[in-house]
Amino acid sequence: MIKITDLEKYYATEEVRTIALNKLSFQVQKGEFVAVMGPSGCGKSTLLNILGLLDDPDGGSFIFNGIEVAGFNERKRADLRKHNIGFVFQSFNLIDELTVFENVELPLIYTGVKPAERKARVDEVLEKMQIMHRRKHFPQQLSGGQQQRVAVARAVVNNPKLILADEPTGNLDSSNGNEVMDLLTELNEAGTTIIMVTHSEHDAKYSHRIIRMLDGQKVTENVLTEYKSNTLEV
Amino acid sequence: MLKNYIKIALRNLWKKKGYSTLNIFGLAIGITCASLILLWVEDEMSFDTVVADQELVYSVPTNQKYDGQWRTFFQATPGPLAAALKAEIPEITQAARLRSTDFLFSLNSSSVSSSGSFADADIFEILNLKFIEGKASEAFRVKEGIVITQKVAKILFEDPTNLLGKTILIDQKDNFKITGVVEDLPENTTYSFNWLVPFENFTYDKPWTQEYGSNFTETFVKLSAGADFNSVNEKVKGVLPAKTGDEDTQAILHSAKNWHLRSDFKNGKVVGGRIEYVQLFSFIALIIVLIACINFMNLSTARSEKRANEVGVRKTLGSDKKQLIFQFITEALLTALLAAVLSVLVLILILPAFNALIDKQLSLGITIPSHLLSLLAITLICGILAGLYPAFYLSSFKPIDVLKGNRIQAKGAGFIRKGLVITQFVISIIFIISTLLVYQQVQHVKNRDLGMNKENLIQIPVNGNVIKNRNSITESLKNSGMITSVGLSNSNILSAGNNGSGLKWQGGDNTEDVLVSYRYINDEYLTAAGIELVEGRGFSSVVSNDSANALITESFAKLMGTESPIGKTIDRYGDVYTIIGVTNDYLYGDMYGTSDPVMFFNYPPEAQYMYIKTNPKYAATEILNTIETTLKTYNPGYPFKYRFVDDDFNARFKSEQLVGSLSQIFALLAILISCLGLFGLSAFTAEQRRKEIGVRKVLGSSVAGIVRLLSKDFIVLVLIAIVIAVPVAWFMMHNWLQGFAYRISINVWVFAVAGIAAIGIALLTVSFQAIKAAIANPVKSLRTE
Repeated sequence: MIKITDLEKYYATEEVRTIALNKLSFQVQKGEFVAVMGPSGCGKSTLLNILGLLDDPDGGSFIFNGIEVAGFNERKRADLRKHNIGFVFQSFNLIDELTVFENVELPLIYTGVKPAERKARVDEVLEKMQIMHRRKHFPQQLSGGQQQRVAVARAVVNNPKLILADEPTGNLDSSNGNEVMDLLTELNEAGTTIIMVTHSEHDAKYSHRIIRMLDGQKVTENVLTEYKSNTLEV
Repeated sequence: MLKNYIKIALRNLWKKKGYSTLNIFGLAIGITCASLILLWVEDEMSFDTVVADQELVYSVPTNQKYDGQWRTFFQATPGPLAAALKAEIPEITQAARLRSTDFLFSLNSSSVSSSGSFADADIFEILNLKFIEGKASEAFRVKEGIVITQKVAKILFEDPTNLLGKTILIDQKDNFKITGVVEDLPENTTYSFNWLVPFENFTYDKPWTQEYGSNFTETFVKLSAGADFNSVNEKVKGVLPAKTGDEDTQAILHSAKNWHLRSDFKNGKVVGGRIEYVQLFSFIALIIVLIACINFMNLSTARSEKRANEVGVRKTLGSDKKQLIFQFITEALLTALLAAVLSVLVLILILPAFNALIDKQLSLGITIPSHLLSLLAITLICGILAGLYPAFYLSSFKPIDVLKGNRIQAKGAGFIRKGLVITQFVISIIFIISTLLVYQQVQHVKNRDLGMNKENLIQIPVNGNVIKNRNSITESLKNSGMITSVGLSNSNILSAGNNGSGLKWQGGDNTEDVLVSYRYINDEYLTAAGIELVEGRGFSSVVSNDSANALITESFAKLMGTESPIGKTIDRYGDVYTIIGVTNDYLYGDMYGTSDPVMFFNYPPEAQYMYIKTNPKYAATEILNTIETTLKTYNPGYPFKYRFVDDDFNARFKSEQLVGSLSQIFALLAILISCLGLFGLSAFTAEQRRKEIGVRKVLGSSVAGIVRLLSKDFIVLVLIAIVIAVPVAWFMMHNWLQGFAYRISINVWVFAVAGIAAIGIALLTVSFQAIKAAIANPVKSLRTE
């Protein structure tokens, strides 16, 4: 599903040029659950931004679903993103002025889903995340765990092929954290590809494979569970 | 999607009530100002629209050449001109004369005085009068026919219908038959009247009105459709010289479209008029809207960090830039819409006061489609103007920057924000300076030495038997002890009045080219008016003693040479007058101008006005009662009308006063809006620097130190604004003042006052937030980080 080759990204200020990604290459199979680990500043988040089509690489190739997307303009990236990728952030990033229902509904609005269908799909996913009873609440009225469940609901409501999770449990206590990890696992088992950036060895163990990074490069790769995709693709 | 935008906009507005209030109030003030000005402009622009075929209708003023310069006079055409124009110029299909006067209408036992005009029948068509009763073609068949407006009909008759043929007694001597009732003319009409009678009623006993030598009436014409203005105007110019042989007096055409807004002439050509005020205030409306929008832009972008997260999330979830721009503009429009609703409420409340101020009867008429559309247009412009920059700014955030929690480094936005604050203050300071200077200039002229004394001077129109009984009236008034002198004159003391040229005297070149004002007065006029004799003697109370003598003013004396003019003679169209006295110069006509020469004749029967000098020891009401009783005795049947000359004098500054009061109001509002913006921005800055303030306090900074820190940046902006505003204001006001011959010189202190005021106001606004932030407990601010 994802194949990156010699991916490069620099951050330049007037005086210093920092290399965030240094000829990074790896592949992710459809249906796989990959954890990316590494110390702060190793380039994990930059990688996730590029994979999430939020940012453009400075060099190398990025093939998503068989299409070369490196060099896509913002409009094309936005279009590809909204149909294919769901995001889960450490700080939830829910919109405070919208209710739980409306937050989850938002991606469907941007992909042009009709109101009646939107309602059905949002209800369904809220039910699945067990926060239906909170649908009319605003984010500030929820606990951290509940907020992250809403964020996950929002990430999956469009049935994305890929979920990118950036420290999804970073702001949560351990029991809430575990709940969120269970949710992600369930989604993965249902067929969604997941790439998760984390600092937590505990969370990483939920994945099939751990990619460890340092200074923008891949250092090691531990396969925890052999994952066999039923379809062979890059 | 739109629903989502509106929903989130409303929630945002509700959640940030403080900011929303500032935004809505700022925009509401802007919209209110703009609406008031537009209502006024609409009224000004709608003048004389009652005249059908405006582009074909013209009044006919005359250009007269004096000292090589054309001067334009309204109400100054000879009697036979109208008929000649119609007869000799084929494109002129209608021509009529109009001369206004007051009549006393008596019906049964009641009397009412009303202003109207002597007119020719063509005036009905030219001014598009709508007959409710009678016919235009028949109304003036008889000399004693009178056409009245509905208004007069309602005043005179209990049942104002079927009035044709009814008789009204006029000036207690002539019976007129009603031959027509016309619709009232709207307020916004330049030439209005309550009644019309055939012109013959004025001319029948005045043979001189049949000659080309006297200019005494207004003339109006209507051209045939498709006539070429320039060629007709040239033909009109040629008519008077052909009749009189005098090339220096020409009639010209002045379009009905220009009657109200473009009636100032310079060297014989239209140069402007009220249109300048219309343009000025339209511009001011735009400026006020602009500074209101600036508030919105500043507060929105200042708050952008709070919205950045939402932008990031939306972009991540698939929103593109266009959708975000649309969303933020929707928000701005919604705010503008709420502001518009508020401003409609405010307009309803303040319109009566505004009407009183500008002396008009404007109505909001929100249901009138053009008004509603204008309001919507202003709202739309406000919303888009205010929302566009924030929309582009906010929507350009990169989601990764925002979501990573990077602080939005909006250096550009900060720069623009500062620029906008400076712009607001530049405008406010210019307003303050202009307001001060307009006020000073008006006061300057009002306090000017007029060469006469307008205090305790009452002006009464001369009518009925006043002239006949003038000696008894004077005696009776003086006996009361309340009145010191009673003067008579043919001209309003403040007006340009009757003038002419063609005098001959010894000791001057081209004396016939000098324009001199003529005053027919009595012996007490100079005393009553406070005009002093500087040489010689005044007139005798016995008219015949001085009927061949004249008085002149000093400026006239100067034209006659350096030696004393006493005993010299002036030849006026063959009549020779001997000068017996010289008075000081006094000001009349243009109060900003200079004192032009005057020649006085001892001939009270020509008097139109009585000037009564009162004893200031008595109360005005008591004095007026005495005058009224006396006049009722010697001139019964005429209602008592009077004016205080100083009121009349003040009324001459109506446009200047209007500009003065409006610019005061707009200056205040501009400052208020700017302060609202500054208040919001300072609140925002204080909030943004909470942590810094906390750290500084922990490290030992005093409250005053913090206040200084937070206020400093804003004061720098105001200082920059002062530097920009002062030369601009100086330039503008210098140009404005050039329009007045008698004017103030611009003092530096005006700029100092404006600058100090701006700094003071800004400081007051900013320090409120600064103090609030400075006295807050630092522990709290540090903990929340």
